[in-house]
Amino acid sequence: MGKYLQKRIVKGIITFFITITLTFLIVRLMPADPTTMLMDNRLTVAQQEQMLEDFGLDKPLPLQYVSFLGNLFKGDLGLSFMQKRPVMDIIKERLPWTLLLMIVTQAITLLIGIPLGVYSGYRRGSKIDHFINGISIFGISIFVPWLGFTLLYIFGYQLKMFPVGGAFTPGIEQGLPYILDVIKHLVLPVITLVFLYLANYVLYTRGSIIDVLSEDYIRTARAKGLKEKDVLWKHATKNAMIPTVTSAGMMLGSMVGGAVLTETVFAYPGVGRMIYQAVGQQDYPILQGAFIILALSVIIMNIVTDILCAYLDPRIKLE
Amino acid sequence: MSKEKRYEKEVKAFLSHRLGMIGLIGVAILILIAVFAPFIAEPVSGYGEYEEKLLPPSSKYWFGTDDMGLDLFSQVIWGTRSSIRVGIIAVFIAISIGVPVGLLSGYYKGLFDTIGMGLTEIFLTIPMLPLIIVTAAVLETTSINTVAFIIGIFSWPSIARITRSTALKICGMQYLEAAKCLGIKTSKIIFKHILVNASTPIFVNLTIIMATSIITESAISFLGLGDPLAHSWGKILNNAHLSGAFGTAWWFSLFPSIAIMIFVVSFNFLSMGIRDALNPRISRE
Repeated sequence: MGKYLQKRIVKGIITFFITITLTFLIVRLMPADPTTMLMDNRLTVAQQEQMLEDFGLDKPLPLQYVSFLGNLFKGDLGLSFMQKRPVMDIIKERLPWTLLLMIVTQAITLLIGIPLGVYSGYRRGSKIDHFINGISIFGISIFVPWLGFTLLYIFGYQLKMFPVGGAFTPGIEQGLPYILDVIKHLVLPVITLVFLYLANYVLYTRGSIIDVLSEDYIRTARAKGLKEKDVLWKHATKNAMIPTVTSAGMMLGSMVGGAVLTETVFAYPGVGRMIYQAVGQQDYPILQGAFIILALSVIIMNIVTDILCAYLDPRIKLE
Repeated sequence: MSKEKRYEKEVKAFLSHRLGMIGLIGVAILILIAVFAPFIAEPVSGYGEYEEKLLPPSSKYWFGTDDMGLDLFSQVIWGTRSSIRVGIIAVFIAISIGVPVGLLSGYYKGLFDTIGMGLTEIFLTIPMLPLIIVTAAVLETTSINTVAFIIGIFSWPSIARITRSTALKICGMQYLEAAKCLGIKTSKIIFKHILVNASTPIFVNLTIIMATSIITESAISFLGLGDPLAHSWGKILNNAHLSGAFGTAWWFSLFPSIAIMIFVVSFNFLSMGIRDALNPRISRE
């Protein structure tokens, strides 16, 4: 286990390193010069130079890269062009909301998706199986912003069941009312994302339950006279879950993408919406910082998923 | 079973796969609309008549008009053309990176495999949409081709994986050992054996890439990073969002969304049909 964990973490670090290098190159090699955007003609030459120095844009590219890496390890992601304050501070305010949204979505999707997939695979070829499959495919095909706006329009504006945006009501800041308020704001964005990602889990679980059900040990379990219910939901499901949990790790990256769109639609104050705003303002340090932090979160959650898989499937440790 | 007989059986299996056929018909219709767009609707641009803005669907404007008074039916039809174009370019780029990476990894193994699969895994792990957004944001001129190109560059990992696993499988077979002993050229082994065998799973994957590339393109356009001159379903939704007509003019966002859905569902159904026809165990008893 120790060795597996070590290998997994080293891989994570390499992934992170390549990710940040890629980001650095993409942002620095852009055709538009950030310095011209930043500058105001009314500033004196000395002031302009001072400003370039503040943002670290006066040095040659390799030096910028070295100082970028150095700062990164100190937790410094530079200054926002627009807000003129550290990117790290801005992200710190935003990240918890995105993580909350993603973790709740992931948990609910797995809780609904695995049983649906198991049942659908067990009754494969039946009407119910086709129905579940069809709904799942529609789920991946719906364009997130439209689903979001439709839910917002029906349940927010018309029925007034849920708030029309944001993550909390200003003024309510403590205790149970605060928690209930946050949950209320979370419902519509989570429904949007769950609908979007459900299909993947359903189809994965369905595929693996079909494989598992033809295994010898299932026949043994049936021959022992175990109830069909136990065979399916205990013996088969446990094994069928492994590929699904693995894919859950792989899905995290694309889930971040869904979060960007969902947060934009629901004006949810997470990192995703921040990216949308930064695009409009051409605030590259924010874009770069947001991407790095999102990638880091995904890499860490991936390692956690892998450890979970190793726990579910003891064979993995032997590799 | 002979090769022809198996092929015949697979085609039959596909033809009797209801969802697969719906997908095939859907894809065919979309391609026809894209090709014959100029005969179906006049392209619109600029500003329309002020009195005609945000009109609901009528016999004159089947899908209604947008906040500029422009015909939405025409925009959706021409959007089909852009979408097919984005899909084709993205798929082409994805193949031209994915297949070589997969071949190098699976056939030559060793260091190639370590690097190739390492890169694949990294690309599959990191959040793609934000990276595509960052890339599109720093490229100041975003034509529809650039957007398609960026999407393609980030879509190759699944192709690389499939090519690699086919290459590994074929290389482990005895007849390939024999072929190598007989001195058959590497290029022939790669093209005649590995690529021929990999072509079907790659094709299934391409239909999925077609579908996801349109979702990505729509997302980019929706966020206001697309080609400002091209007709794109995501751009219509962006206009609907920015003009604040999402709540009042339902037709503004509904029709482009349905178009996206038809596109994605068709390609997904098509890939399901092909996959099930080749691997009957998954769908039937």
